[in-house]
Amino acid sequence: MPLLNFDLQRARPTLFRYGLAAIFYLFALGLALLTQHYGFRDVALPLFLFAVALTAWYAGPAPAILAVALSITSFDYFFTEPLHSFYVSRSEIPYLIVFVSFASLVAWFSAVRRRVEAQLLQARDELEIEVAERTQQANLLNLTHDTILVRDMDFFIIYWNRGAQELYGWTAQEANGKRSDELLGTVFPAPIEDIRAELLRTGRWEGELKRTKADGTDVVVASRWTLRLDEQQQAVAIMETSNDITERKHREEQIRTLNQELAGRSTELEATNKELEAFAYSVSHDLRAPLRHMVGYAELLQKKASSVLDEKSHRYMAMILESAKRMGNLIDDLLAFSRIGRAEAQMTLVNLDQLINEVLGELRQETAGRDILWRIDTLPVCRGDRSMLRIVLVNLLSNAIKFTRRQPEAKIEVGCADANKDEIVVFFRDNGAGFDMKYVKKLFGVFQRLHQTDAFEGTGIGLATVQRIIHRHGGKVWAEGAVDQGATFYFSVPKF
Amino acid sequence: MDMLGRILMVEDDAKDVELTLTALEEYNLANEVVVTHDGEEALDYLYSRGKFKTRPSDNPAVILLDLKLPKVDGLEVLQQIKSDEKLKIIPVVVLTSSREEKDMVASYKLGVNAYVVKPVDFHEFVNAIRELGIFWAIINQAPPGSVRK
Repeated sequence: MPLLNFDLQRARPTLFRYGLAAIFYLFALGLALLTQHYGFRDVALPLFLFAVALTAWYAGPAPAILAVALSITSFDYFFTEPLHSFYVSRSEIPYLIVFVSFASLVAWFSAVRRRVEAQLLQARDELEIEVAERTQQANLLNLTHDTILVRDMDFFIIYWNRGAQELYGWTAQEANGKRSDELLGTVFPAPIEDIRAELLRTGRWEGELKRTKADGTDVVVASRWTLRLDEQQQAVAIMETSNDITERKHREEQIRTLNQELAGRSTELEATNKELEAFAYSVSHDLRAPLRHMVGYAELLQKKASSVLDEKSHRYMAMILESAKRMGNLIDDLLAFSRIGRAEAQMTLVNLDQLINEVLGELRQETAGRDILWRIDTLPVCRGDRSMLRIVLVNLLSNAIKFTRRQPEAKIEVGCADANKDEIVVFFRDNGAGFDMKYVKKLFGVFQRLHQTDAFEGTGIGLATVQRIIHRHGGKVWAEGAVDQGATFYFSVPKF
Repeated sequence: MDMLGRILMVEDDAKDVELTLTALEEYNLANEVVVTHDGEEALDYLYSRGKFKTRPSDNPAVILLDLKLPKVDGLEVLQQIKSDEKLKIIPVVVLTSSREEKDMVASYKLGVNAYVVKPVDFHEFVNAIRELGIFWAIINQAPPGSVRK
């Protein structure tokens, strides 16, 4: 009710408030006249005082003054001798002054009380609104899954949200009032004095803390502390928000372990590579020597005994020499193949057009006396290891030259096409012996040959080398062909 | 043993020695060859030590050096020769089975005059030896202090 009254007094228009004064006054006057009519005496004055007090209370001081004026006028008119006249006798003046003073006092008390009460009400309303806001904020803090706790400067917990309960396992009731580091068994990454010093200096601190939950399991949290200051800039509390990073730490640990393993493997691999290198070196050096001796002595024997050897024996000698030579080639090719695996690729810009002309010049000896129709497109610049790509071109061109040998009109075509925005494709097409597409997968294997040695010599390492080089460039090799219809070899390399 | 050689050959493999000498025979260069069988012996010869104490003091016109040698290997011999003021003027030809690039690079870095890979093919081998012998022992003007005939 007082709240309503307060609102009414504020909201009432001035006219209404004066109306209210008039109503209270008329009501008091009516009641006074009624009591006078029934022979009661001296009731009018208290009734008028009552009306003034009510007016002061409900309508404010100005209408109360009106009520006093009206009351005193009517009192004089209706209730003092001579009745029904505004005449005021001398003896009545003090009486009236006392009435006015008393009425004014009542009106004043009433107004003051009214004002105080209004202020109190306003303060209470504001407080209620703030409480509602605070409650809402606290509820929001509780809603978040982040862990939030607040402690005073002695580390005693004064706020503990639901996130904290979920993470650590204690309820707010259990946690509040306890020392946080004792409750949680906190392991700090640095001496607590240092952390405290930093917090006081900068107002914040961040770090990883190891803690123990209510159920005894360990948890690692990424913790952020913020200092709360009061109006005098004195530190009063520490707010801490944390995230559970136990899983992340665990994964980091796993990654570290894996990396260590990888480093171990890498060292092993390096060792294996070194061994392989030593092996290749040994092959290069030691395997060729006996071969050279075989050939050397066989030739010496052939020379010395040529007069006494019959035709068959000559052929045997020739076979020995040929085989030894073939083995020499095999060793050389195999070594070249293994070198490509071991050597570092030096990636530069390679002008394929220039390179292919160089290679063609080199191969002139092989094409001497041959009638070959060449069609060579202008080739682009690509990214790659020049000496390795040179081996690719040499192998593919010598293959084309070799396998068109039986063709009366040999045709060899070299061209290129844009594969996509990152790669170019170069192809080598010939009209030579070709191959059966069902063996296409064997084409690029080491020591794989699709022709008999008698028909076309070779070690079966050339295309394997080509494939290895192109794979090291991140490209692809493939081929199309048909028996006696020629073959086309493609490779892709990164664009410039 | 003929102590006066125009060609110092450092080769541990007896068969290679024989084949090389056979190849040089045709040009009557075989008699000009002094054979040492490991790096230590080669250095003994060059410094007139041990069993070569009494050899004439002239330097050979050329050294044919294998790389894979017992005791002191070819690269060490080469390094010793090229770091010695008196010996570094002698032309050194590495004659080896190794096609390995690192051997070649190491040899050239040490200042070798030529690097020849022994071919498997005997004809090529004979040709290589012959050309080396003729070039270095006959055509090339050997540095002062080496044997002349």
